[in-house]
Order: sequence, then C-alpha cells, then structure tokens
Amino acid sequence: MLIFRSEDTVQAWCAARGLPQRPIINLDQLWQLAVTWYANRLTVESRRPAPEEMVGIFEAVGLKGPFWDPKSDAWSSAS
Amino acid sequence: MDFDTTVKLCIFQTIADTTRVPTADDVASILGASRQDVVQALHNLHRKRLLVPEPDDPARIRMAPPFSGIETPFVVRIGEKTHFANCVWDALGIPAALHADGVVETADAQTGEPMRIEVRERGPLPQPCAIHFAVPAARWWEDIVYT
Repeated sequence: MLIFRSEDTVQAWCAARGLPQRPIINLDQLWQLAVTWYANRLTVESRRPAPEEMVGIFEAVGLKGPFWDPKSDAWSSAS
Repeated sequence: MDFDTTVKLCIFQTIADTTRVPTADDVASILGASRQDVVQALHNLHRKRLLVPEPDDPARIRMAPPFSGIETPFVVRIGEKTHFANCVWDALGIPAALHADGVVETADAQTGEPMRIEVRERGPLPQPCAIHFAVPAARWWEDIVYT
C-alpha cells in the first residue's frame, strides 16, 4: 500500500497505470492496524493474525467486504 | 522456548538495537547455533509470515516486518536511529513495535511531494493524506514485496 497527499493524487496514480482505484483508508485506521499487527513484535507471543482474526480486525476499524477478507475467492481471476 | 522463537526474538531485538537486519550467520554467531539450523528457522518463520528471505539467498532477510532489510522510501527515525520500513503500514508499525515516538519520512507516491508523519504514543499527528490499498487481502502474499 502507498501513501498520497490526497485522493486526487491517488486517482492520478491509478490513472497513470491503468489500475482501478481500490479502498482508501485514513491515518487513524492505519495506526490501529499497525498497533494490532506489530505492538508485540519483540515478544515471545508475537505472530501474524490468522485469516479468521484478520476479518474481525479490519471490521473493527470500519473495513468490511471481500477486499478485506484474506480467504475471499472474489479476486482469483481479477487483479 | 522453541528454537524458531529464539531466532525470531534474536532477529527483532538485533534490529531494534542496531537498526541492521541480521543474516543467518549473524544470528548463528549471536546464539552459538549452527548456520544450517538458523537457515531452517528462517524458512519456518517465513512460512509463519513473520519474515521474507531474499529469493536468491535463504540466509539473508529481505523483510522482517515491519522492518526492511534494504533501504526503502519509508524512512523511520526513532531517536538517533534510522530504520527502513516495507510500506506505509509498516512505517507506522516500527514506532508501534518499539513503543517509541518516531518520525516517518516518505513521499506522495504520485507527485513525490515529501511527507513527514510524526508519531506519538497515542498515534500519528493528524495531517491530510490518503492510504491506498491496490491489492486485496487475499492476494497480499502472492507478491508481498509489491504489496
């Protein structure tokens, strides 16, 4: 994922590459994901969340739907 | 504690202390273990998606998320130390992992405009920005370096 100053520059980036625009999140949402993923990275217990857990983590910050489901098969033939 | 966990902790503590992502030889030297055992542990940790070895060298680490083994456009300054992150998510993940204030120096991916994100205990200071996910979650690990 990449960071942009605004949605306008996201649109320009996608258009320049012929790519569809996909979900955009804000800095607060990204921080919540970063803390959930990495706050215990230097501990014995640290691990990557399981796919089933990831759906709940994304929903907790307002990100729902197949795009955020690591087990979704909706993207098997689409890019 | 199993050996994979010992290697994992050694890797991440070494990065936290030195900013440098260690090789299998470094880890073997620190732990007094064999290189072969450490390379196997790196393989196991990759399967757990806790790191990514270099494609052509299983003894070197390309990514130990949130840290990058190579320089990237996501520079994270924690005190006097400089780390590199794999993406903007990981850039915020470094101060989160180290439980420290930090500054992320990066740029708008389209315009190249420099962007500076100050991160405090409660999170990043607000500023206009948009984080775009081009790849759906189900495909992140098909090419994690691109993602």
